[in-house]
Amino acid sequence: METISVQDVTFTYGSEGADVSAPAEPALENLSLEIERGSYTAILGANGSGKSTLAKLIDIIEVPDSGRIVVFGKDTADDSLFWQIREKSACVFQNPDNQIVGTIVEEDVAFGPENLGIKLPELRERVDQAMKDVGIYELRLREASGLSGGQKQKLAIAGALAMRPEVLILDEATAMLDPRSRDEFLAVAEDMRRKKGLTLITITHDMSEAMRCGRIIILSKGKKAAEGTPPKIFADVELEKYGLRRPVAIRFAYELARLAGRTLTEEDLTGEARLRERLVKILSDPSLKEDPDLPETGPDNGTISERRKIMSVKDLFSSYDGGRTFAIKNVNLDVYEGEILGIVGESGCGKTTLISHLNSILKPSSGEIEIYPEDGVTLRCTQKKDVQRIRQTVGLVFQYPEYQLFEETVYKDICYGLRKMKLSADEQKGRAVKAAKAVGLEKDVLRRNPFELSGGQKRRAAIAGVLAMRPKILVLDEPASGLDPAGREEMFALINSLREAGTTIIIVSHNMDEAAAYCDRICCIRDGEIKVTETPEALFGDKEKTAVIGIDQPKITKFSDLLKADIRKTMPQVEFESPKFDPEEEARRVYRAVLKARLKDVK
Amino acid sequence: MLSDISLGRYYKADSILHRTDPRIKTLLYVVYLVVIFIVKTPAAIGALAGVILIQIFMAKVRPSVIWQTVRPVIPLSLFILILNLLTIKQGNVLLQWKFITVTDYGVSRAVLMAVRLVFLILSTSIMLTLTTTPLKISDALESLFAPLRIIKVPVHEMAMMMSIALRFIPTLIEETDKIMKAQVSRGADYDTGSFLNRVKGYITVLIPLFVSSFRRAEELAVAMDARCYRGGDGRTKLNPLKLTGNDLLVGWFLFACATGLVVMDLTLR
Repeated sequence: METISVQDVTFTYGSEGADVSAPAEPALENLSLEIERGSYTAILGANGSGKSTLAKLIDIIEVPDSGRIVVFGKDTADDSLFWQIREKSACVFQNPDNQIVGTIVEEDVAFGPENLGIKLPELRERVDQAMKDVGIYELRLREASGLSGGQKQKLAIAGALAMRPEVLILDEATAMLDPRSRDEFLAVAEDMRRKKGLTLITITHDMSEAMRCGRIIILSKGKKAAEGTPPKIFADVELEKYGLRRPVAIRFAYELARLAGRTLTEEDLTGEARLRERLVKILSDPSLKEDPDLPETGPDNGTISERRKIMSVKDLFSSYDGGRTFAIKNVNLDVYEGEILGIVGESGCGKTTLISHLNSILKPSSGEIEIYPEDGVTLRCTQKKDVQRIRQTVGLVFQYPEYQLFEETVYKDICYGLRKMKLSADEQKGRAVKAAKAVGLEKDVLRRNPFELSGGQKRRAAIAGVLAMRPKILVLDEPASGLDPAGREEMFALINSLREAGTTIIIVSHNMDEAAAYCDRICCIRDGEIKVTETPEALFGDKEKTAVIGIDQPKITKFSDLLKADIRKTMPQVEFESPKFDPEEEARRVYRAVLKARLKDVK
Repeated sequence: MLSDISLGRYYKADSILHRTDPRIKTLLYVVYLVVIFIVKTPAAIGALAGVILIQIFMAKVRPSVIWQTVRPVIPLSLFILILNLLTIKQGNVLLQWKFITVTDYGVSRAVLMAVRLVFLILSTSIMLTLTTTPLKISDALESLFAPLRIIKVPVHEMAMMMSIALRFIPTLIEETDKIMKAQVSRGADYDTGSFLNRVKGYITVLIPLFVSSFRRAEELAVAMDARCYRGGDGRTKLNPLKLTGNDLLVGWFLFACATGLVVMDLTLR
């Protein structure tokens, strides 16, 4: 069997450079692995574990310091094979904008084969075929910069396919896409693998994406930490050690089995139906121990609308072209003090436009936004004199906020907004230090250059810059994007702690599981209009409602609902509580409901 | 905030001039540049205006779009007009009031200068920017300057750089807009205050923009590497430039007009 064979490879960035005095940590160390032709492999690992480096080595964009890489029998160290190997492997990278070379769609698709010297008419045939394969043929004469994120990534695949590669590497290619575009994108790539026998390698932080693969390789600090089929990995490997998590459905299943005093095996994880079957079996086992001190389920949150209203959006319309089309229309939304409000919707639905209005960066075409920072005070976005105070009351953290850092030190950057507020030096210092502490940055980080920090730290520094202004309402656009599973959890823990400290939080997200698990209420936007604003329980508890609105159920809810239906088949008397979206919490609720029903039976 | 910037805007249409080979258009553009600066006599200028009208007709560009391209230079054109009127002292005096002297030579000179500027803008936009996509312009330059490769001028690389720069203009405008919004939400103010303060304010945009441009450049270089880019040698083109009979016809026709204008001007002097 032909393989991509990585043999004892070590690679250090900048090792050929002059800076020998401070040898950097190797990005990959004594790594060996094999990937079979035509297989579908996921490479997982925390940020900085060497995943992207591996992709670059396979495509000979970098060359290993030591060790050998053989791609289908061709050694990458052999200079005469260099172009042959590179021609046969193609990459799609994370940021759609930074891999488009051509101005027009078809010109960009042609870029690769043009470099290979493919002549007309074959060139034209390849380009057209590639565009048809991924479904962007209709867009061929459009300007590439005007496409949506999902379309741009499809364009990137088309550009790769036009080179007729044998290996296609997706390097976090779905990280910036919403769930629907993500599914479409992966379907295209998987389809090409089936039809053209491509070897597909996907580097990802998304565990449900990894579940789709035939094999998973986990990297940790440049070394191979584990390898196997998805069921084996998710059954046997302690993923937390590598900054990873199990997929939510599997986390839920494991907690349920643990409560029942059973364990799951690799075989149970080979399919969702099989997993449910096994769980039903565990729960209907007569010998199931009836644990008297079953952990109480967490309390339901109090009714949000009894709290004080802190912001009210009234009949808001917004247009970028003077009223011909509206990016958002007729938006009415109340925000209550101390809540976490989630705003969900597909890319381009108007989420970012809406939040830009919340702190008066954009002016409404019509309508009003009122903010009540304290009792008896009303700020209006249409009143010019209120604008400055609104911006201080509503802090806005855009997506990838780390790209806005500009000062020489983290401390100065955090203080930027405070200087603009003309606060005294002492006040600035006090606030900056406190804000840094709130986001979990060590004190010595304050003196450092923000551009030297790791990605996660940069983002924290940027958030601190907004927090230091002591906003009463903090709006975050996709705060966890690009972070690995552990990083995401930390980010949401941070958000939760800010809420505990009294800040009202508004989060924009397209991850339904996270929105459902962390938000008190969820506001669904579609085509610029608010479809519904509800608690996650009320929203996702009703499958028909979500279908009508056109939003996805969280993965945990999909799995749990199917399981509940299965349980009812054997135990019709079970009454389930309202759904929860934290996998462990939901498992406890399901388990408790089953136990209660059985106790009743005994009596 | 920055959406109204239109750098070398392309006007989508299907016209004779749109279809003409960009190399012909570039050459014609240079020819007309020379013509605009040669002709002096009123009759020839009138004729030139007529030829430009024919070009507009050939480009099928709406009059409102033509007006939009010309409008921004009208203040400058008027300024040049007035400046010339007041500073030129040769010729017969037409008007004398306090320190203001206007002569007949001054009037004709001033009108000529102002009209030249308008013609210049019109011919640039009709011959090139409105009717030719940026990529085609850079293709044309690559092809026209190809002979310079003999003396080791990196013609292909320069054309590639130009087309990538053009490709990234919308991306960077979008990015600038995002950064500005983020800084505004932290209290930055780009619209008020003294000139110096405003310039200083832009540092908060420029530094992140530079950093991100470098990051983009690096990622783009890797992506181009991955797609086997290795310079211009042996590279083929999806839409190679091809001269057709129509292109030559348009070329000779407009060239003949230009020659006619110059001959007419020289005989009338």
